[in-house]
Formats: sequence, C-alpha cells, structure tokens
Amino acid sequence: MSDDLWYKDAIFYELHVKAYSDANGDGMGDFPGLVTRLDHLKDLGVDCIWLLPMYPSPFRDDGYDIADYCAVHPQYGTLDDFRSFLKAAHDRGLRVITELVLNHTSDQHPWFKEARSSRDNPKRDYYVWSDSDDRYRGVRIIFRDTELSNWAWDPVSKAYYWHRFFSHQPDLNYDNPAVREEIWQVMRFWLELGVDGFRVDAVPYLVEREGTSCENLPETHAVVRELRRRMDAEFPGRMLLAEANMWPEDVRPYFGDADGFHMAFHFPLMPRMFMALRLEDRKPLVEIVERTPEIPASCQWGLFLRNHDELTLEMVTDAERDYMYEEYARDPVARINLGIRRRLAPLLEGDRRRIELMNALLLSLPGSPVLYYGDEIGMGDNVYLGDRNGVRTPMQWTGGWNSGFSAADPERLYQPLISNPVYGYQAVNVENQRRQQNSLFSWTKRLIQVRRSTRVLGRGTIEFLKPANHRVLVYVRSLDSEKILVVNNLAGTAQAVELDLHAFAGAIPIEMFGGSLFPRIRERPYVLTLGPYDFYWFKLRWL
Amino acid sequence: MSTILSDELLSELMAVGQLDVLVGLPTLNHADSVGPVVRAAHVAFNRELARERTALLNMDGGSTDGTPDIVRNASIVDRETLLASQSLRTRHRISAPYHGVPGKAAALRAVFAAADLLQARAVVVLDPEIASVTPESVAALARPALAGDADFVSPAYARHPLDGPLVTQVVRPLFRAAYGLALAEPLSGEFGCSGRFAARCLEQPTWESEDLRLAIDLWISGMATGDGLRVAEAALGPRRLTPRQRPAVAALVPQVLDALFTCLRLQETGWAAGSRAIALARSASPPPPPDPPANVDMAGYATLFREGLSALGGMLERVLRPATLEALRAAGAADRPLHVPDELWAAVMLELAAAHRHATISRDHLVRAAVPLYLGRVAWFAAELAGLEPRDADERLEALCLHFERSRGDLVALWTAPLR
Repeated sequence: MSDDLWYKDAIFYELHVKAYSDANGDGMGDFPGLVTRLDHLKDLGVDCIWLLPMYPSPFRDDGYDIADYCAVHPQYGTLDDFRSFLKAAHDRGLRVITELVLNHTSDQHPWFKEARSSRDNPKRDYYVWSDSDDRYRGVRIIFRDTELSNWAWDPVSKAYYWHRFFSHQPDLNYDNPAVREEIWQVMRFWLELGVDGFRVDAVPYLVEREGTSCENLPETHAVVRELRRRMDAEFPGRMLLAEANMWPEDVRPYFGDADGFHMAFHFPLMPRMFMALRLEDRKPLVEIVERTPEIPASCQWGLFLRNHDELTLEMVTDAERDYMYEEYARDPVARINLGIRRRLAPLLEGDRRRIELMNALLLSLPGSPVLYYGDEIGMGDNVYLGDRNGVRTPMQWTGGWNSGFSAADPERLYQPLISNPVYGYQAVNVENQRRQQNSLFSWTKRLIQVRRSTRVLGRGTIEFLKPANHRVLVYVRSLDSEKILVVNNLAGTAQAVELDLHAFAGAIPIEMFGGSLFPRIRERPYVLTLGPYDFYWFKLRWL
Repeated sequence: MSTILSDELLSELMAVGQLDVLVGLPTLNHADSVGPVVRAAHVAFNRELARERTALLNMDGGSTDGTPDIVRNASIVDRETLLASQSLRTRHRISAPYHGVPGKAAALRAVFAAADLLQARAVVVLDPEIASVTPESVAALARPALAGDADFVSPAYARHPLDGPLVTQVVRPLFRAAYGLALAEPLSGEFGCSGRFAARCLEQPTWESEDLRLAIDLWISGMATGDGLRVAEAALGPRRLTPRQRPAVAALVPQVLDALFTCLRLQETGWAAGSRAIALARSASPPPPPDPPANVDMAGYATLFREGLSALGGMLERVLRPATLEALRAAGAADRPLHVPDELWAAVMLELAAAHRHATISRDHLVRAAVPLYLGRVAWFAAELAGLEPRDADERLEALCLHFERSRGDLVALWTAPLR
C-alpha cells in the first residue's frame, strides 16, 4: 500500500452500510455485518470501498443530512465497530474512503441548533443567514421537485438560511474561518482512524457571492486547496474525490495544479455512454471525451455507470435529455429531479450483452471505475419506494430468508427487498452467481482481473480512431511503450470494421481475455468483425 | 521492420493458442542427433503431460542437413510406445527459421517471445545434442514451473567427479562465487522455466548485444538469480552426448572461459549485488555416478602446465597478482610433484576473470593463456581424487565451491578495480 497514486489504478466499490449486511437482526445493515462480507469484495477484485454516509442522521436525505460528523449512526454500530471494519478491510488489502459532506449539515446538527437559537450565538456564523430571501437571486434550485427556493425561513431566529439542497440541510458558511477549522478537525478525526480518503459531496456550492451562480467560485477552490494542503502535510497518500456535477471544463479547476482534488467524477460522460449505446453511434461519447481537458498527471477521473443517486441528466442538452427520458424512462415514475432512478440492469432491460459492454467501456475509458453495490450481480430496483430509495434496497446475497441480508422479520427491514420474478433475490443473488461460471458476477470478476493486469487502462492516454462505421467505437490507450487497442460494437447487430492501424504496423494484437493471437498489423486496413455488443481489448506487442 | 517472429511463424502460433508447456529446440545442422530429442518430447507430451496444452517449437539457424524436416517428421516407431502415448489433444510441432543475428541466443529469444505470446505456463528448452534425453526428463524440467513451484529448473546430471572438469573446476565454482547460487550445471543447454521467467528474459536489452552469442547458456542461468525467482534442480541421471566431432580441449577451454567471463561482464550490475533468488531442493537424489571417464593424462597435462607457465610468464605477470604467479611457479617446480590447491586455483580464476573484465591484455590472449593453467589444475585434482570413494570425491568438489564462495568479496573487489 505504498504507492501514493494508488487511486489511479484502483477499482472503487460504492456501498451503503445499511444495505449491505445486517449482523444484529434489526433490519438494517451495520459494520459487523459488513465485515462478514469483505471476502466477497476481495473475491470480486475491487481495491477500495466507498462508504456512503454512516454518521448519526435523521435520515431525511439518506444520511447526507449529518447530525454528528465524528460518530457512527447507532444503527450501523459503534466507533469501535468501525475501527474493526477498517482493520479487517486493510488486512485484506482493501482501502476505504468515507463520505465527507462539506456543504451542509442536518438541521439537527448541534451547530445549527445553536446557530438558530439566537442571533448572538457564537455558532450563528457557521451558517448563511439573511433577513430577506432576495439575496443570490437567479441561483438555480437543484432539487426542483421538492424545493421552491434556496432560502428557508427559520421561525426560531426569524431569518432565512441558505440551502442548496433540501431545506432541512442548511449550508455551512465557508467564509467563516472557524467553519473551515471545524471541517479540518472532522477530516483529521477520520484520517487518524485510518481512512484512505474522502468522497467529498456537493463541492461546487461551498461559497456564495452576489451576482454569481454561487457555483465553482474561486473562493470555493481556495477552501479545497487549504484542506488538501493540510491533509498532505499530515497524512500523505490519502485521497480526495470530488463530487462536482459539472462540465469537464468547470471541474478542471478542482484539480488545480495537482493541489486540489486527486480525483473528480466525470459526470457528463455517464449519460453519453448510455446515449451512444441506444443510438448505436459513438458520436456523443467521443465528443465528450475529446472535450475533456487535460488534468495533472497525478490526478484521475472517477467513472461510473450508476450510483446511489438518479442517473443524472443535468449535464446534457434539452434534446439529449428528452432522448434519454424517451429511451430509458418512458414510464414517468422512473424520472426524478433531472434524472432517472433506475439501476444498471433494468436500464439495459436485463440484456446481458449490453451490461457487459457498458462495464467494459467503464473499465477501459480513462479514469478509475466506480461500481455500485449489487450491479455486479445485476440487481433490480423499485421505483415505487420514493425519492431514490429504489436503488438502495438490501443487497441480495442468497435465495433464502431476506436474501441472507438480515435475520429480522421481513416487515422490519429498512426497505423491502426486490422480490419480482425477474430481479428478485430468489433469482438474482450472490450465492447463485458464485456457483455459475457464466454468471454476471463471475464475468465481472474476470473483467476486473483483466483490467488489473495492466496499468495502461488506469494511467494511459486515449486516442480515438474513427473508422467509417460509426457503430464501432475504437480507441488506443497508451502508457509509455505499452498500448491497448479497444474495439467496441455499440450495435445490437454484427458489424465489420476496417481500421487504419498503420501507426501500429508490426504489432501483434493479443486479445486480453483469452490470450488469443490475431494477425500482425500491417500498413493496409485491418479488418475485424464483431458480434452484437461485442468488444475486444487487444494488447499490442512488437515481437 | 525487424521482428523476432516471422509472419509465417506467427500464423502457426495463432493456431496453437494459449499453452501450458512450450518446448523449445534450437538447432543448426543437427540432423544426426535431433530425432531422438523430438521423439522424447513427443512422448512426453502424450504420456507425461497428456492433459496439458503443449507444443514443440524448433528454431533453426539455417541448417543445410535437413534438420527441420527431421523435426517435422520424426515419428514414434516403437509400437508399444506408440500405443502407450496416444494423444489426447492436438500436438503442435513447428519448425521455423529464426531471424536476426545468427546463434543460439536469437533462437532462444524467439522461443521466449513465442512463450510469452502464447502465455505458456512452462517452457522447456532442449539441447539437440543430448542423446540421453527421455520423456521423463522433459517432464521433470517442465513440472516445477507448471506447478508454480519454480521459475527456473536447471538439470543436475549424475556425473563422475572427473567427468566434465571444465564444469566442476571452473564454471560451477566461479558461478557460485559470483552469483551466490549453487547450480550443478550453470552451462547447461537444457533447462525449464516459468512463463514469468521467459517474459523477464525477453524484456532484457542484452539481446541486441553481440557478446550474448558467446554466453547465452550462462546468461540464462545468471538471469535465474534475479530478484525473488525460485530456482529448482531436476536430477536427470547421466548425461550422454551424441557422438560427433567436438573441439579439442585447447579450443574448448578458451571458448568456455570467454563465455563465462563475458557473462559476468554482461550481468555485473546484478551479481555484484548478490543473488536474490530462492533456491529450492533438487527434485530427486542423483543416482550413483557412472563409470569414470577415460583417464586424465596427468603427466602430459603437468608438462603442458610447466611449459605454458614458462612460455607465458610475461603475459601472466600482467594479469595475476605477484603472489599468485609466484605460487603457481612454485606449484609447477620441476623438482616437486604438481600442486595446484583450491586456494591457489580460486585466486587464479578470480584474477583472470577480473583481467578479462578490465581487458588488461587482449581477451583472446588471456583465455588462451589460461589453458595450461587449467590443465595443471585438472592434473593435480585428478591425482587428488585417485583412490577416493565417489562420495568423498563429491565432497572435494563441494569444498572447492565453498572456497570460491568464500572468495566472493575478493572477486567483487577485483572486479571493481583493476590490479594495476
């Protein structure tokens, strides 16, 4: 674990403690339960666990409304349980990053309770207050399905407080040095316990300025740099991952000169992967990758197909959004905010070939892939559970009682299991899939093994080839003298493609999953045929 | 553009696909000896390695005696063996010319490249001149790597202590002093290795060096002393070469010394730091040694030693320490029996090696000047062994190696700084 750039090669796995495994039978997952499932993650081959918020919270936003930064929610266990989990993960070579919600707290956090108790309270300036709701006019509302304004009236102190998300999540005031110090102490607390980094939530909104969008402000970048500097000084080798749902050029400053975030999610890429697949056309995907600016050598993009939120359509045009809704969420109940609340498998209509292709893209495009728990077995969702809870149902371990997730009565589970005949736990579960060599789990495990066999896919550059057949997406990943040629058929029909590979003349393509040799590349066009949604990863060798 | 593997060979390898064991066979005009070697490999594939995916790859240096045809067509004539070795799988047998600089190194490079491409778990390289090869010995070289237990498998032959004195008196002890690894046959032309080892060899820049042509067999053994590699020995019984015209001792000694010293030079950054390999036990106890070879002409060798010492004195003064030369002269004094003990012999070899490294005199002259010294040592050693039981004789050989091993510090010092 000595490589400070470990995150560039890592495969991340995002999970909810509450959804993973329940050891004490109270119907909600917990850290002792999670420990019992670490071998599954080790077997799958992931490198780093990203824990969704596990702090004390009233759970009005799935834990993103934090009431105490330096404790564990009692239903998940104790701080000692967390320590035991962290040790067990590290013992297996698994790293752990936790969620750091910087932008806001719960309105149940003691800081807010004090702040609202009187206008003279020392904690008053921990939050952003106003006597009127007309400051920062024009700033967009993110949760527009539920919120009418970014200001909320506090009847206690008789003033408005600023919130970019739900009204029960007041924004912290980063112009106040005391807040910045408090947040550093929070980070320090977890870093000292041994966490390997943080996924930092809702980064663009830390600081507000009149006459701006209150997003991505220079002052926000300054806050990030300060936290990074302090973390590097005391805890080298730890990592910060930004959630900034923005265009790549707007995210770029968050990396700074390698003095900001180590990683940031590439939000606009994700919907374009789905779009390219449905259009059977590489155009949207190639365009967004080519539009992505260079980032410092030590930095990395985080890539994902699905996560705990909706499939966000914020970073697409109106026409693109309409297309995505039409193709992936014809039923309006699947739509929420500006996105689609579905898991990967149902989005792709359970089509194994499309699921495989999308995962292969995820693991071969430039960046570190983030898998969402349950997607390795093709879990389904339940759009009727409200908010985004439909993609946060209990992990399906077995076909037995409560899918092996909990010994509680089924009625006591924090959320019902998926139980329909297609995606229900009786049909889709880890135990079954571990026993089948051809299962999605076994296949995903193999995909991860192949990805881990080279550093090129994590660290290499990308160059697109543009054969005449637009249904075929081709790129070359390069790191020093190592090259990997990736060929993807985005279409549901067999395709032939002629590739201009003269730049690699003399190389022998070796298919990375089976090790089969393909004919040596020459100056003339190289012809390949691909079955529906087929893909090849070729290592190029000059021998 | 120059490539290691021709397109024709590549298309044959494409048909082979992923492999468990690749047997490499470098040849050049070996029509008289290659047939039994190919048959041994073939039977090994069908009988010893019946379930494994195997292929034989003959890299030929341009034979004019029909060697490739014999490799392609060698068949099992003995009915019983034929019946007992029916193939479970398709067994590929490929014969191809190799490209680049002529010599065994280019052939081995192509074998390693093929093994790497085919992701072979184990590679066995056979010597087309070894007539004693058997299906069991092919399997014995493959199995440790196949099982993931070893990265390099060196043969251990049952030799009489006076059989192959160039190996026992020069190569084995000096290799051990430099690399710190006790290999019985560092100069062997046959070995087994893992795919990982083949890939590690393949990525070395040394392949382009003209010097490697001389030293390839030793260089491979030297590579096995690399970081974290696991080295095993397979006891293969007595070694028998196909009868053919071979160089006389006066030509062979300079050739081997040049190879040994050149190899040390090629790998100096590695061995000077000491072996980092993990030595494993020999796969089986060696059988009793065979009959002694023809008697050493002790008197003749002693005479050549004294004459050489006298004639080459001026040259030796430039490459040996005064004390070493003095001791040699005393050892060869006409009024006494010849006496070249381990301590003196180790000093001579170390100083010659260092002189070769620093090119104190012409390297060609140096290795030729070493011939009479070698003969003197062999004559004395043969006299020493007279009347000893084979086991005691083996202990004497081990004592010599230990003596060399203890001189390692001196070797490193001489290697770093020339005498004068």
